[in-house]
Amino acid sequence: MKIAGNDILIQSLINEGVEYIFGYPGGAALHIYDAIFNQKEMQHILVRHEQGATHAADGYARATGKPGVVLVTSGPGATNAITGIATAFMDSIPMVVISGQVQSHLIGTDAFQETDMIGVSRPIVKHSFTVDKQENIAQIVKEAFHIATSGRQGPVVIDVPKDITNPDELFDFNYPDKANIRSYNPPVKPENHQVSRAVDAILTAERPVIYAGGGTISSNASNELRELNELIDFPVTNTLMGLGVYPGTGKRFLGMLGMHGTYQANMAMHNADLIIAVGARFDDRITNTPEKFAPKAKVIHFDVDHSSVSKIIEADIAVFGQVKDSLQAINNHLRSRKDEINKEKLSPWHQQISEWREMHGLDHQLYKNNSDEHPILPQAAVQHIYQESEGKAFVTSDVGQHQMFAAQYYHFDEPRKWINSGGLGTMGFGLPSAMGVKLAYPEEEVICITGEGSIQMCIQELSTCSQYKLPIKIFSINNLALGMVKQWQDMNYEGRHSSISYEDSLPDFVGLAESYGHVGIKITKNSELREGIAKALAIKDKLVFVDIYVDPNEHVYPMLVAPNGSLKDMWLGKGEKT
Amino acid sequence: MIQRKLTLVMENKPGALARVVGLFHQRGYNIDSLHVDPIEDFEPFRFIEDELGIKFQVGEVSRLTIQTTVGDKLMRQILRQINKLIEVIAVSDDENTYLKGILRNENLL
Repeated sequence: MKIAGNDILIQSLINEGVEYIFGYPGGAALHIYDAIFNQKEMQHILVRHEQGATHAADGYARATGKPGVVLVTSGPGATNAITGIATAFMDSIPMVVISGQVQSHLIGTDAFQETDMIGVSRPIVKHSFTVDKQENIAQIVKEAFHIATSGRQGPVVIDVPKDITNPDELFDFNYPDKANIRSYNPPVKPENHQVSRAVDAILTAERPVIYAGGGTISSNASNELRELNELIDFPVTNTLMGLGVYPGTGKRFLGMLGMHGTYQANMAMHNADLIIAVGARFDDRITNTPEKFAPKAKVIHFDVDHSSVSKIIEADIAVFGQVKDSLQAINNHLRSRKDEINKEKLSPWHQQISEWREMHGLDHQLYKNNSDEHPILPQAAVQHIYQESEGKAFVTSDVGQHQMFAAQYYHFDEPRKWINSGGLGTMGFGLPSAMGVKLAYPEEEVICITGEGSIQMCIQELSTCSQYKLPIKIFSINNLALGMVKQWQDMNYEGRHSSISYEDSLPDFVGLAESYGHVGIKITKNSELREGIAKALAIKDKLVFVDIYVDPNEHVYPMLVAPNGSLKDMWLGKGEKT
Repeated sequence: MIQRKLTLVMENKPGALARVVGLFHQRGYNIDSLHVDPIEDFEPFRFIEDELGIKFQVGEVSRLTIQTTVGDKLMRQILRQINKLIEVIAVSDDENTYLKGILRNENLL
């Protein structure tokens, strides 16, 4: 059968099993949109801004593990997508972005809506392609999906000049079975000698910590991690990106580590004699000053990416391969040496950790104080959301104080439930990513915990939610300022609050939500908090925007002391240091 | 810090060189010198063909040599970052080679 380039492109996506494509039309993409019009297998979601398209596809990918797919036009369509592509790149999220391009003969002439998308996106993609002729479309799509979803995952851009999708020229279409890229070969299985060295270290450790990150989730290795810890009973901490990969309510769970990690997690890391890093990359929000990081610890590093290992912290033992395969190999090896496992030996260490937790652990009972004498604490708002949603919701977030409170006080027992921009820290991520999650799981509760600053960065997507009837629950932790910036100004700039408030220019969020056909709820007092949240969650068929006014002076603690601090140097409260 | 030489064998595709050069800037490394040409004599690279079970055609692959002045640890990081570029088939420094993603502890190029 002979079909045109635009149909070849769309049929290739359908062959890849794409259910949703998030996008925004424009001149250079019009032939492609015509091909979308003529098919039924895949639904196009029309967003209100291309940044929203990339975040929605990203949310879909994080929740499902399948690649998110985006379609934008050339020029401003492509550049608007850049923030979302960078967000996915930093967090290693599989995504395929198709950008329209001006016609081949116009490239390089500064034509209308021409941007060198390959050049602009080069530092923030795993790979990119320009389609040179129609005969190569199918192969390029196959390779793009293969690259996006294998090894260390990431976004791939396919730039498609308009003439390539011309509906008047017909070509043979056969979708290839597999991508053969002779120069690309990500590691899969670990080597035996690495595995046995790792097991030796595990068996002799006295103060071990498992430090698991987002790579464990990408590799779908949550079960293997849990199996490992049934065998060895080590304390476990998760990065911001790893939350949920180990049960948040589990007995051995220390909470998140790093900049706003728990006291016990940071102390355990600092004092450990063995750190098992699983799909984590020791970024600066984790290590604090690298030279002072965990001075007594031997490091085992499991990763699929050679370049992540010993980049910041030197690994003593490196296990390369898909984390899932590596953990399986470790578990099998450990089972064969079961009589050497001595859990008793760890009790002084567990005891020490309990003491740390008792001393300065987070207060998980804050929500029980419903007196109206005090303003609402943002932490208590998150605790109520956790209680009322029974800890089972998908939670997306934006960036700032509310994000850290959500990470600290919403306990995720399953992977892929916590959806946030960890690496790039992109404000505006929360609402559109929630749209992607809700489309993937229409029956599940999808909550966006945001702030009045972040939500305004992609608030136009309230219209998209109305069009596609996406009953997301938005909880905006409203402290009337850019809270995290304000906290830094309080702590490092003697309280000089430069450009963090909007004076009296915030919209009436309830009225704004209602103008899009949604429901709005405003909460200003502790006594209204539980009931207001429960009411929002009880509305199943509509998006609800809950505007929660909280204490504008609250800070996020613990907080690592920087610069020049180690993981044991933390602010525990205003003016209170370890 | 000493001057070191990197040798790459990579697909001769549009934009491939820009990815290598861009990587140096993006990661904060400096290029002292760079030389690139299409490989015409395949004899020294037969082992790559054997390894991958392919046959190079004239014009398909290029050799790059890059000189850069860095310490040991950074050199290892540069090598690993270059190895991640999809179009790079093999990359060597004085001591190590990544051949299609697999590390060999010798300079094969």
